[in-house]
Formats: sequence, C-alpha cells, structure tokens
Amino acid sequence: MIRDITIGQYYPADSVLHRLDPRIKLIVTFWLIVVIFLCKSFLSLALIALTAVAAAAISKVPPKMLLKSLKPIVIILIFTAVLNVIYTQGGAVYFEWWKISITQKGVNTAIFTMVRIVTLVVISSLLTYTTTPTMLTDALERLLSPLKIFKIKVHTLAMMMTLALRFIPTLIEEIDRIMNAQKARGADLETGNLIQRAKALVPIFVPLMVSSFRRAYELAFAMTCRCYTGGEGRTRMKQMKTAFRDYAVLFFCAAITAGVIVLNIYFKTVI
Amino acid sequence: MSYAIETVGLTHYYSKGTVQQVAAIQDINLKIEKGELVGIIGHTGSGKSTLISHFNGLLKPDSGKVIVDGVDIWQDKETLKNSRFKVGLCFQYPEYQLFEETVFKDIAFGPKNMKLPEAEIKERVLRAAAFVGVKPEHLDKSPFDLSGGEKRRVAIAGVMSMEPEVLIFDEPAAGLDPRGRKSLIKLITDYRKQTGSTVIIVSHSMEDIAGMADRIVVMNNSSVAMQGSVDEVYSRGDELRSMGLNIPEITEIFARLRSRGIDVPANVYTVEQGAEILRSLKNGRCGK
Repeated sequence: MIRDITIGQYYPADSVLHRLDPRIKLIVTFWLIVVIFLCKSFLSLALIALTAVAAAAISKVPPKMLLKSLKPIVIILIFTAVLNVIYTQGGAVYFEWWKISITQKGVNTAIFTMVRIVTLVVISSLLTYTTTPTMLTDALERLLSPLKIFKIKVHTLAMMMTLALRFIPTLIEEIDRIMNAQKARGADLETGNLIQRAKALVPIFVPLMVSSFRRAYELAFAMTCRCYTGGEGRTRMKQMKTAFRDYAVLFFCAAITAGVIVLNIYFKTVI
Repeated sequence: MSYAIETVGLTHYYSKGTVQQVAAIQDINLKIEKGELVGIIGHTGSGKSTLISHFNGLLKPDSGKVIVDGVDIWQDKETLKNSRFKVGLCFQYPEYQLFEETVFKDIAFGPKNMKLPEAEIKERVLRAAAFVGVKPEHLDKSPFDLSGGEKRRVAIAGVMSMEPEVLIFDEPAAGLDPRGRKSLIKLITDYRKQTGSTVIIVSHSMEDIAGMADRIVVMNNSSVAMQGSVDEVYSRGDELRSMGLNIPEITEIFARLRSRGIDVPANVYTVEQGAEILRSLKNGRCGK
C-alpha cells in the first residue's frame, strides 16, 4: 500500500544523541566520516567502528532498524568484497584456481573495506534516526549561513527543503486518491508493455501536477498573508542551544581523531 | 432476483499485520436492491469511504465477499475489471481527476477503457455531457479552463458515460454553494429516474439525503449501526446524536413542536415541506 511509505527515518526516543544540538550532530557526522577515511590500519578502524557501535547503543535505536538501513548496501558490500579479493594480490596464497587466486592481502583489504562502508552507513543513519528532517534542515541552514557573503540565499534554500519534505506525505496521499479515481474509470495501470505503462501514468501525473501548482500558489499566498518576507530578521520559536554535552561530544571526536592518527603512525601494519 | 450489491461479512483492516492494525469496516452485511437509492451516512472516519471503495474492487476485503449482480467480484481478474464498469464510483471532489486536453476526451476516458467502438463512445459522451448540462461548445475546451462547478459536472459525466448499473457518489455536493447543491441533487434524482439505475450516495448532510433516499444506512465505528427508511432512521434522533450525527434542523424543530403538544407530523425533512405544513396549520386555525 502506497500510504505505508515513510519519509525520513526518524526514530523517536529519548537519548543523549536525540537531545544533541543538530548542528553539532551534523558536524560530528561529517567529521567522523572523514576520520573513517583517515584510518590506515585495522586498529584505527576498530577504534572508529567501536565508536559507531557505542553511539548506536546510546541512541536507543533498535539494532533491527540499523540493520534495515544496511540492507540496501548489501549488494555493494558483496561487490566490493569480491573485487577486492580478486584484484588485490600479495602475501600468503589461500586458494588458487584458474586465473583466480585469493591471497592474504586480498582478504584483508576486502574485510577492511567492508567494515569501513558499514561504519560509514551506521554513523550516517544514526544521524537521520535521531534527528527529524526539519531539525536537519534548520541545522544545515545555520551551518551554511556564512555562505550569505556570496549572496547565496541560504534561508530560502532551507525553506524550500523543509517545504518539500513537508509535502511528500501530502503528495503521496494525493497520488493515492487520483489513482483510485482513474482506476474507478477503468484505467489499467498494471498491465501492458513499457510504453503502454508510461502512457497509463499520464492520467495520474497531469492531475498531480495541476494540484501541486494549486497547492504551491495557495501556500505562497498564505505565507504572504502572514507577512513572510524571507529570512531577514526572522527569529525562531525553537532556539538551537549548545549545551555542555555538545562540547563534550566535540571533545570526544577530537580524542577519537587523535587516537586514529596515533594508531596509524605506530601500527601501520597489515595493509 | 439478485441484488445490485450485496456484501457478506465484509471486513477490511488498515495497516494489517502491524501494531497499528485497525478495522476500517467490520462484518458489513448489506443488501442493496436494484433501482434503489440508498444514502450512507456516518461521521468522518466511520468507514463509509472504505466501504464504497469495496463496491467496485478498489480495495480488497480482508475477509467477506462483495457480490455485484449475483457475482463475487473477486472470483477472477476479468470479473474484477468488469465490476469497475458495472459500479461507477464518483469520488469526493471529482474535478481533481480531470487530465485530458479537452472536455470531450476526458468524458470519453471511461468508455475508451471499456474498449467500446468509436461511434458508441461518441454517443455516450454526448449523452452524458448533455445530461449534466455541459454546453456543447465546451466539449472542445480544456477542462482546466472551466469554472469549479462546471469541472465537477464534467467529472461526473466522466463516470456517467460508462453507464454503470450502480452509480456511487461520495459527498457529491461537498464545497458547493446552496444553489449548486440543489441543482446537483436534482441531477442525481433525474439521472435515477431516467436510467432506473441503482444510486448510492455517501454524505453527512442529512438534509440532502433525506429528500431523495429510499433507504438510509448509518455507519458508526466501522459497522452498520442502523438501516431503514428515512422515517425509521430519523425517528431515532437521540441515537443519531450519540453517533455524532444530526437530524435535519427542520425535523428537529418539528420534533420539539410535537413535544410541546402541537399536533404536527414527525416526518418533515425539508424546509419547503415544513413551511407548507405550518402554513396549512395557520390557515386551519384562522378558519376556526
């Protein structure tokens, strides 16, 4: 059923990660992703992977949901693992057949890359699990606000994003309604070849476009009526505040980064 | 004789299999006779729209059967497809489903999906357009250039042109002014008189339904709370009120007059009817 689709994957819970300032969360996420790519040894990678696991545990997001977010990348994981195993050569040979030989270095690289990708996905999904889309766009707006010097309308962009997110469920409902109406007139959406199916979408998309424009005009009108003039001089009902825990998290990230660098220097083994 | 539509133990759940599973309709057993005009009333969320979406197979029942003209519509694919044409469903705000370049093409969408011959399609479109009062010169116009009321008429013609045996309207008069309401109700009653087809109207406007329906089905909490003739249902005003429904104001006024010991009939549903009775009552007194 089309209405079962959920947009964004916010998981409401009461955890430290949920309460963090979204700006800090955004910064930390990017920071940690960079650190993942700084890792050069298994030990430093283990450090950051453990950090991700610990963060997941703190977040109160059920592990099941995190595993679900890994599902779409399973194919990529297998693909990169296989390629790494086949194309990286060196060290002891475990297995040889025809032109394929599996070596120690190949297996190590494969595992290393897989852990790296999984950590990456876990960290970035933790951000979306613990932050609502609106909070994210707000944070993005604040973080990008220095771009105003270059005459980029950061507020407008953020508002557009917020509105787009807000209207996705509405549009899904609308599609549902239009589809039912056209099906009631005998529209066949399920059978036929590609061209026939594409044609069958016309009766859905034309009314959808028409109503989207209507909604857009109505919304613009309503916003004008409430004196919306853009970001200039606008204040917020919900102020984003950095608390002690936010600085603690930043400090923690710095520590992790230092740890990774140290481990990189002293244990540049394996690969 | 088979019924136009019959449901047996019809049940449908939303979000089935999850913790949020709720019954949208539960164990509905209805028999709608051919040629009958049935009004379905109930407050928002009582399951009316879910119920009618089963009548032409848009929703699949989780249990129970929908039998149209003696045939279970879910018995095979072909029957299901045909049920869409046998039971015409006109949704709330049907004007939002218009999409074609011209009014003519839009009304022809249904008949075209029925794979009728070109000549027959043309004939049906012209007939339906004339019936709902779309001017012939509007047929080549874009439907998006029409006024709101005209758009709705075109959309209704788009369902009528399939010439279904049962025609269902979901809140046909929603968002119309009193005059628009009246002319739409007249349109529906005329349609029924002329074609003799079965008509089902879903509404929460008691006034609209009282004037035209042969029978009323009251939905409450996902099931049928009561059904019967207009008189029978409206005589149970207190029960209706407890379901968040109201009997027509004029009926209410007459009920209060009766409770004060004034001898007036209980089955008054329209203001015109009420005014007539009051007038004759007044004249009668003057004559004394």
